[in-house]
Amino acid sequence: MASIARCLRVARPTAFSAALRTSVSRTIGARPFSVTATNEIRKYTREHEWVDLSADMKTGVMGISEYAAKQLGDIVYVELPEEGKEVQAGDAIGAVESVKSAADINSPISGKITQVNLVLEEKPGTINQVAEDDSHGGGWVAKLQVSEEGLKDFEALLDTKAYEEYTAEEGEH
Amino acid sequence: MALSCHLRALTLCLTPTIPRSHFNSISLPSTPHQPRYYTQNLTRPAQIYRSTSTDPYLNLSIEHHLLQRSHPDSTVLFLYTNRPSVVIGRNQNPWLEVNLHALRQGLPPPPRPLPTPSPPSQNLPQPKPIEQASRNDPPIALVRRRSGGGTVFHDAGNANWSVICPPPAFDRDKHAEMVVRALRRLLSTSASASPGKKKKVRVNERHDIVMDDDDHLDEEGVGGRVTKSTFKVSGSAYKLTRSRSLHHGTCLLASENLGRVGRLLRSPAEGYIKARGVESVRSPIRNVGLRGDEFADAVVREFRSMYGNADGREVFVGEEEALANEEVVKGLRELTSPDWVFGQTPLFTFSTHPTEDDPRERPEMAHKLPEKFQAQFTVRHGEIQAASVSGLEYHYAVDDASQDVILSNAMVEQRLHHIKDWRSTLRQASPVPVDAEGVGEWLNHMFGIQTLSHNSGGAMAEAVIKAISDTAVGRFLDRHH
Repeated sequence: MASIARCLRVARPTAFSAALRTSVSRTIGARPFSVTATNEIRKYTREHEWVDLSADMKTGVMGISEYAAKQLGDIVYVELPEEGKEVQAGDAIGAVESVKSAADINSPISGKITQVNLVLEEKPGTINQVAEDDSHGGGWVAKLQVSEEGLKDFEALLDTKAYEEYTAEEGEH
Repeated sequence: MALSCHLRALTLCLTPTIPRSHFNSISLPSTPHQPRYYTQNLTRPAQIYRSTSTDPYLNLSIEHHLLQRSHPDSTVLFLYTNRPSVVIGRNQNPWLEVNLHALRQGLPPPPRPLPTPSPPSQNLPQPKPIEQASRNDPPIALVRRRSGGGTVFHDAGNANWSVICPPPAFDRDKHAEMVVRALRRLLSTSASASPGKKKKVRVNERHDIVMDDDDHLDEEGVGGRVTKSTFKVSGSAYKLTRSRSLHHGTCLLASENLGRVGRLLRSPAEGYIKARGVESVRSPIRNVGLRGDEFADAVVREFRSMYGNADGREVFVGEEEALANEEVVKGLRELTSPDWVFGQTPLFTFSTHPTEDDPRERPEMAHKLPEKFQAQFTVRHGEIQAASVSGLEYHYAVDDASQDVILSNAMVEQRLHHIKDWRSTLRQASPVPVDAEGVGEWLNHMFGIQTLSHNSGGAMAEAVIKAISDTAVGRFLDRHH
């Protein structure tokens, strides 16, 4: 996801960070069905992807942040990543289209794509509704098998608080 | 200034940029100067490029190369004009958006009178005499671009403008506004802007550039009555990558073909296809009534006033120079491949009858068809994933239903753009001899294949390749396979 921020001025930064705060806690709270829910950690890229790392640090789930989804506007198509593909952090692995824009989805960490969210093929707008939900029916984009390099990539990403500050700052410009 | 730029451009294009042996057919003058690749400018903060090629695939590949390789903090303006082409958005369906049959037939001479607004300026290119143009209708290129949005038509009467900037500076309207300022300046000084005529250009809520015409007399020409009308003169599409944002559009200047665009962009299969992805929004269009060079100069001027580079050069990029760049050629191979043009089509369903997913009433089918004929295909990435054909007239009917199943199953995994003739495809798929003439002909019509009496009309994939094979770019790709 490119830093689509600033320019689109959907709402004021304060509103963004408020929305972000509530939504993040909501998603984390509402996860009774997720198998790996217990200790997973969520981090973000500066290009507005999120990734959850499982407790055993072997698998991850990634998607587009709510902040980015809001900035992009109505998502009308999701070009899904290719299952089985080995990816490096930062690689364009798919794209979303909204308001005449094809925006790349970049892999937040290195690894192998093990599953893609086929729900998005039918209902791309799911990302606008529940961008950071990694459950069935949620807006997650892909699941990954995390490589050793991927773990290092993960370390370098922003945690929830840092990402919140980052987007608030970006919105202020 | 402009003149010296042109001269430099000429040198640039003709300078041998790759070993001679690659270009045996082109005679290049030897020059004592170091060749100046356009890529040498990629780190400048503000860069201006103009392509001298009219090949849509090559121009989009140069543009993509600039998107990927220009310095992340730089701002780039790229201007180009394409030969006649239909350009679909990244996530669109050519079978739904385009009349592929009309596209293959090429472009007949422009109709008279010209569908341009108001009296055109004296400097506008005059339409070619019909006898000169009708001999060999040039094929129209079918292109899938990398940016989002809908389908547009390009020809020599349009100018494509493209701005690449860093993501933090991206704004969906900013550079459309830049083009609007250029248009306003030109329209206020242009010879064609006769007094009393008020033409206002602005960016609308869809980020398109539109023209409001306050002095558009109604058809009876009732004296003094003013009607307000709005026409689209340039669209907008965007490609956003990790490190760069691209905004481009096509400005209609003096196209002779506007009257034909409607037909080209209307598919016979429209009433039968339900597609994921992006559908185009139709808008009334018109020419601004300007020359390509005056438009380009005015846009360059506005770009310079936004980003400095007041004395910075305009770099002209020629075909040879662009084709000498491996990355450009790599992008070009992808864009010209039928697997990109057709194979990147989002999932869609073609159905002759209303379904739960697509309950629309269907247009009446040709009466040649068997009464009980029905067909439904689900197509992903151009490949038939599920097929259900029934009601065909088999010559031996042992068990129609199971014969339908066998035939349908044989259709699965066929690629739509590789089907040459539905009559033979159906015959081959059928377990027993079948009368597939009428149905095959109708399906050919639906999917843009020409039915010829003696032979097949050729698959769409071949048509796309054929349409470029006679161009300089096509010959280059052939030689360097």
